[in-house]
Amino acid sequence: MATETAALTARVKEAALKRGALVCGVAPAAAFDPLAPDGQRPGDLLPGARSVVIVGGAPPRAGDWISPVAEHLESMGTTQRIEPVGRAVAVFIEEELGYYALHVPGGVGRGDRAFLSLMLAAELAGLGSRSLAGPVLHPRYGMLYYAAVVTTLPLDPDRPLETPVCPAPSCVEMWEREGTTPCLAVCPASRGGCLDGRLENGRFVRTAYKRDLCGTRVYTNWIGSFQKVLEAALDEPDRDRRKMLLYGSLFTRTLWSITYAGQSQAQCFECIRVCPVGAEYRTKK
Amino acid sequence: MAFFAVDPALYRRYKDQILELSNSFQRDRNEHLPPGQRRPGLSDREIAEQLGLEERVVTEIRCVAERDRYGLDEWERAIEFKRKACRDYVETKILRFLKPSDQ
Repeated sequence: MATETAALTARVKEAALKRGALVCGVAPAAAFDPLAPDGQRPGDLLPGARSVVIVGGAPPRAGDWISPVAEHLESMGTTQRIEPVGRAVAVFIEEELGYYALHVPGGVGRGDRAFLSLMLAAELAGLGSRSLAGPVLHPRYGMLYYAAVVTTLPLDPDRPLETPVCPAPSCVEMWEREGTTPCLAVCPASRGGCLDGRLENGRFVRTAYKRDLCGTRVYTNWIGSFQKVLEAALDEPDRDRRKMLLYGSLFTRTLWSITYAGQSQAQCFECIRVCPVGAEYRTKK
Repeated sequence: MAFFAVDPALYRRYKDQILELSNSFQRDRNEHLPPGQRRPGLSDREIAEQLGLEERVVTEIRCVAERDRYGLDEWERAIEFKRKACRDYVETKILRFLKPSDQ
């Protein structure tokens, strides 16, 4: 039985990599229960869930990261390239192996919340660990996009990383030298940014993250900006000023962004742009 | 009204408490912190139990409050922040962070 499970696990991972995943891991469905909120656990989505297969990949390309046009990286950071990989893995599990497989949608479910935390899934599957900046970082590739498949298929789970990827050695050195890290320096909460934290003995011992503020940066041209401009326009009694709001660059680019990608776009990468984890992979000639 | 919407007075009364209890501002949430030090935000159901409200009411108040928290000017600051950070990075930090062998 153990051999059979190991063989199935290898087949699923091979299928994921063949279909475009850069990395693939497996987390036991039950591992989410003590960590994920009620309603966002694998068993809430699929009765009888045993395993969660997580595929990662589709990062912005090295050229995207060094473009001086901020709007370029804003446009390239999207989950829509990894989503089809997740769905293809679900199809493989159902069609080839005969088990239920639910591809977790990348959007939001109830209350503007994710169906399942993909970051938690990636962490439980040993694909990376959470960073001071927030995203899960893979030891080699740094930030990746993830998709997850919840399945009744019993698989051999991977284990979370024993040593966290963040902080990187160079960040520990920077902390000891300057009292900050690249991500904390670029977006410090003390100066209107989203991040704060403290390192001790090479590990972070305090973290702080302003999620809603980050939302204005990660989704500058997305649902939030649409709602805010619309609200301002509805409140604006002057017809000409309403036109400035609705025809202006923020609302126009927001509409472009929403229609450009059916999936979520992450539109701020400044904390990750300066992150040394994955920098070697992002470095080209 | 045909769809569920929270009473504005109820919203104003509870929005700050609900944001404080939720994941809106995450302090020491990271999994790699020692277990006793982690402070994950509460789910809507847990917040509802703590405040004596219905879960649906908490969910709606949280959704509205998360959007309401920052004014439109914060979106303008976001644009300026990213343009400046991107420019600074390309102009001064590529060698530092992307080509360690060149240092």
